[in-house]
Amino acid sequence: MSGVHTSLERRLISGLALVGAIGALCLLLFIGIEYGLTFSVLFDPAELPVVTHELTEHVLIPILVLILPMTLAGRWVVRSSLRPLEHQAREIDEASENERGFRVDATSLPREVVPFADAVNALLERIDLASREQEAFAADVAHELRTPLSVLALEIERLDHPASERLKEDVARMRRLIEQLMILAQLDIDTPQVADERVLLRDVAEDVASLMAPVAIRQRRKIAVESEGGDYVVGRREAIAAAVRNLVDNALRVTPEGGTVTIVIGPGRRISVRDEGPGLAPEKLDQLRHRYKRADHASNSGAGLGLAIVSRIAAAHGASFTTIPAEKSLRLQFA
Amino acid sequence: MRVLVVEDNERLARLTCEGLRNAGFAADPAGDLEAADEALAAANFDALILDLGLPDGDGLKWLRDRRQSRSIPPALVLTARGALEDRVAGLDAGADDYLVKPFELAEVAARLRALLRRPGARGDVELVIGPIRFDTNRREAVAHGERLELARREADLLELLMRKAGSVVRRQTIEDALYSFDASVTPNAVEATVSRLRRKLEQADCGDMLHTVRGVGYLLEERT
Repeated sequence: MSGVHTSLERRLISGLALVGAIGALCLLLFIGIEYGLTFSVLFDPAELPVVTHELTEHVLIPILVLILPMTLAGRWVVRSSLRPLEHQAREIDEASENERGFRVDATSLPREVVPFADAVNALLERIDLASREQEAFAADVAHELRTPLSVLALEIERLDHPASERLKEDVARMRRLIEQLMILAQLDIDTPQVADERVLLRDVAEDVASLMAPVAIRQRRKIAVESEGGDYVVGRREAIAAAVRNLVDNALRVTPEGGTVTIVIGPGRRISVRDEGPGLAPEKLDQLRHRYKRADHASNSGAGLGLAIVSRIAAAHGASFTTIPAEKSLRLQFA
Repeated sequence: MRVLVVEDNERLARLTCEGLRNAGFAADPAGDLEAADEALAAANFDALILDLGLPDGDGLKWLRDRRQSRSIPPALVLTARGALEDRVAGLDAGADDYLVKPFELAEVAARLRALLRRPGARGDVELVIGPIRFDTNRREAVAHGERLELARREADLLELLMRKAGSVVRRQTIEDALYSFDASVTPNAVEATVSRLRRKLEQADCGDMLHTVRGVGYLLEERT
């Protein structure tokens, strides 16, 4: 509440000051009438001390006595009536990771602000609806692309042409993108209310390792699972598995031939994926995880939307997603 | 091995059949569930590839009904749906395996071969994975034409790995399959059996086909 905007607090305070000034004026007037004072007495040297005395006793002293507590009380009243607004603003600010489904809580707001909050909520509702429709549309498009892509892949398989291997790789990349789009769309449609399944991290790690091992072996890399404990976490099993799958996918890409990608579970509610690549700097992770937000489509790194998806799943589960470059690990720490 | 491909997209059905024929299967297309019923009544099929979104009904419901009323060949469900919930529903309905579109033909062929290697499937007597052949009746294994001298548990383990070739067999699955429940299993019994089998495979020059997924299980690589 600063800068060019009119401060509500300042307006209320100056309003109160004006009220005080009017009050003092009325008091002066009242005393003047009560004691039959006229302007002429101000010029009468005999009457002046009496008048000054009266004014000091009945106007100046009461005002001086009252001015400090009244100012403080005024400030307090103004501040405390504005506090719910500040509180709500902070809440809205903090809701930035999981925007979908957020509403301003009008119950704690002063009655006068409720219509404003309602209007904001109605706007949020419309934005939610629009983005849901957009995502459902993206999911539909991805879904509709599957059959033509299957046909394309099969047609390429029939080709006996030096370019066919390259084309196959292109189709594989498109397939991955479509899968990731579907996961993203599904997450957004099904969350933010993350299902409260109890998910054993060990099961997730073994499932993902089993699923990815044949792929890894074809690429001459190994997958392993190491356990340092590993508790239950609460969330959507399929979403957590998708996150770990994306981490393994990413790790396989940076690990050289013959290397091992290790899924480490524990200690506690933690699951990490360790690779044999150069390690990922925190700034780089930040860049990758926000790719979908920045609409950065220029990347040729092949990382796709993988880490952005992991980040989204982590946020929906209240988990932190960090990189530990020294250990060459990416880590999900659940609350 | 004869496969029925139930898929309503004509071009996709034709290409899938063609690809499967190149991979050594006999394949026939069926455009809808009615055609599938007719084909199944007319001929013997070893396996079924089933698309879920068909014009004349829900493929999963059809599969469930047929499974209850009479025996139909093992089914590989092929679908554009990918969520785990669908997968579970599919496997509950009697699908034997599940593959999400868009698929690679090599993957379809591998999954089909895995289905046909299941116990009870036709052509069950001899298992063949690359250079390794296993006679399930005589419990004898041959690799690169050389006979492998396997103890009973090693033969059981090799059969298990061959039937699931191309996918990871969990340590617990191996333990359950090799040792009866009352037998006291020493903690590293599975590892010991695996390493004995690995040595014998190495002697026959097939050692590199057996992979360890540390902390999870083992995988016998599928080679064609």
